[in-house]
Amino acid sequence: MSKTPATSDRAAFVRAEGVLVDRGVLSAVAYMAAHRPGFRERGLRLLQTAAAAPLFAALGQRDRSLGNRVAHLPLRDMSEDRIAILAEEYVEDILRDKVLDTGVELLKGLRREGFTVVVLSEGIDEVMGRLVRSLGVADEVHTNRLEYRAGRATGKLLDPVVGGYEGGRFVRDWGRRRGLDLSRCRAYASKAPDVLLLSAVGEPCAVNPDFTLRKAAREANWPIRDYPA
Amino acid sequence: MATFDVRSTFAGRHVLLSGATGFVGKVWLAMLLDRLPEIGHLYVLIRSKKRPAHERFERALNTSPAFRPLHERFGADLSDYLERRLTVVEGDVSLPGLGIDPAVAAPLRKKLDLVVNFAGLVDFNPDLRDALASNVEGAVHAADFVAACDHAALLHVSTCYVAGTREGRIPESLDPTRTPNGTPFDAERELEHLHALVAETVTAADDPAVHDEIREQIVARLERRGLAPKESRIRAMAARLHRRRVKEALIEAGTRRATELGWPNTYTYTKALAEALLAARAETIPVALFRPAIVESAESFPFPGWNEGFNTSGPLVYLAGTWLRHIPAKHYNKLDVIPVDHVARGLTTAAVALLHREHRLVYQCGTSDLRPLTMDRIFDLSALAHRKHLRTHGATKARRVLLSRWDITVSTPEGLLSVRNIRRVVHQANRFLRHGLPSKIPHEVREKADELAHTGENAERRLRQIEDVMDLFQPFIHDHDFTFECRALREVPIRDPAFRFDPASIDWRRYWMDVHMPGLRRWCFPEYEGKEREAYQAPHPVTVVRAEERFGIEPGRGAGEAARS
Repeated sequence: MSKTPATSDRAAFVRAEGVLVDRGVLSAVAYMAAHRPGFRERGLRLLQTAAAAPLFAALGQRDRSLGNRVAHLPLRDMSEDRIAILAEEYVEDILRDKVLDTGVELLKGLRREGFTVVVLSEGIDEVMGRLVRSLGVADEVHTNRLEYRAGRATGKLLDPVVGGYEGGRFVRDWGRRRGLDLSRCRAYASKAPDVLLLSAVGEPCAVNPDFTLRKAAREANWPIRDYPA
Repeated sequence: MATFDVRSTFAGRHVLLSGATGFVGKVWLAMLLDRLPEIGHLYVLIRSKKRPAHERFERALNTSPAFRPLHERFGADLSDYLERRLTVVEGDVSLPGLGIDPAVAAPLRKKLDLVVNFAGLVDFNPDLRDALASNVEGAVHAADFVAACDHAALLHVSTCYVAGTREGRIPESLDPTRTPNGTPFDAERELEHLHALVAETVTAADDPAVHDEIREQIVARLERRGLAPKESRIRAMAARLHRRRVKEALIEAGTRRATELGWPNTYTYTKALAEALLAARAETIPVALFRPAIVESAESFPFPGWNEGFNTSGPLVYLAGTWLRHIPAKHYNKLDVIPVDHVARGLTTAAVALLHREHRLVYQCGTSDLRPLTMDRIFDLSALAHRKHLRTHGATKARRVLLSRWDITVSTPEGLLSVRNIRRVVHQANRFLRHGLPSKIPHEVREKADELAHTGENAERRLRQIEDVMDLFQPFIHDHDFTFECRALREVPIRDPAFRFDPASIDWRRYWMDVHMPGLRRWCFPEYEGKEREAYQAPHPVTVVRAEERFGIEPGRGAGEAARS
């Protein structure tokens, strides 16, 4: 396998949700559903988003990939143009205020220390890719990608879906491609399904962890970092 | 494969442009002057109206934003630059010999390598006489002029929509023997028929019975207004009304003939007729027909968003920003929009092929075959662009909050909330307010009702105008779906990528949101709203050289007069 040169020999993998931003995917999906063309369509898709919410929460602790797939279904049949423009609006009007300053400082610090910062987000690229790139704190951003056919979203996410248990595999593949020693790499995450992402590196850190991850971090003796309120 | 170098092709060439003050003409002229300083000489055919030709052209040069890049680049030296490269020729395409003074025409005929005929009337349903003069006879006169030149070729600007009511893929070809609905067609005979139709319509309108009826109408109107029916006043009004009647009859005659033969309007019909007449001359002169689709805002030259006038997408897009929420269009129908600077590049490409005599008869210049833009996408992007604008610039809270979030819907012309139905409801409401209220109502209520009816009548008038615009555009946005093949331009082997016709490079979202819509808002919407358009005044006004000065000829009797005599 050919190796892609890394910008440095150490990398830090950061899950955006909970570490860098205080907003999940459902908020973005609801915003877009509420601004579809046609009031009927808006109502229906908002209901669909509302119905997806408990499922997403329930699946969140187990299979986050499936949760993410369900959460993005209300975007079905929306035009690529509309998603792009609404994403821009959402980022500027809502998400930018939800960026965690401590998270931004954390990423800046990592870059100063010489880490290649890789941000992973279960949000779609139009939203999270745009936000993270505009913050200028990451070297790479990996997000979920919507599938489009003839300029319209099918409501499906393209594989691999970020946010599930694939986090660990992603980190291992990424490190292998660049010839990195993962025992010298770091990872930061806040949700239970990210436990495999964290365990793939030598220096994991649970940031603002949920109940399950906090418990796992304590048992594994990983550092826990809670942002000041 | 041999490639063409644009600069060396144009180096030392002499080009005559007619219709250079139109939207496309100005941009092409500015592009040639800006990017091809090697060009031999440009002659611009301008008609004298109230002002002499050279003054009219100087005014265009000094006030049209299309020439801004030239002013910015050359500053105070622009007059000198133009003095060496450009001459204004007084003339009129509707006249034989292009209305050029024979003393000017003689040296021109020896020098010219290319004549580009932009001149034309772009009104969809104009007075048939005007359409014939500009669109048909103008083209024939240009061809005759080229035939009398030593070595010139003709590039005639037509339109893709000569396809008429044909459907689907429109090839880059011309069948002058059939109309779009398959009727056998002979262009020369059709031209004779049209002249006869004009004469017949004018004669019919000159009938003494018509004059008597007009007179009676005027007298009745004056009496209703309580004005004295003075003979001089009656005569003046009758002459005006008669002229209007003749014009209306000729508009109707043109439209009727066009639809009979399979064209949606007089504009496309007369353009197609001109093409057929020119095709017959293609055996004797080098000629190419250049068919742009719907020409819209510039993507980058003269600057992003430059547009002017009453273009096709402008009124539709404007409506998408009003409270009218239903536009009659068909889902997935394509609207072939092409930015004006892409058209200018296409023109350069076709001209190069023509100058090398390796040209084809027809060049279509559009985007529908390679970068199609559907009605759905146009309205989606327009709604999003209005949304973006209204959220921050909406004049009222209702516009900022409600209208910005209320998308336009593409519907059938018969849809429940169509403009026609809304107008009918408004009309009925007005009638009720004027005549339906009981006679014994308080004076204050009557006054209020009259006030409301007055507002309603204004709204009805506006709705009627919108309805007329919709009717004009319906063939293009609802009735027919075209895909114009545009291979010929892409296949001209142009060496320099900067001059290549490359519609595939257009990113519609960026173009529509960041270039076209802001351009329309700045240059066109004010005109629709009856407001003053942003003025431009060149920092260093330029003067131009007249053909008489250039060729050392005594100023003559005026081109039109010379040609007529």
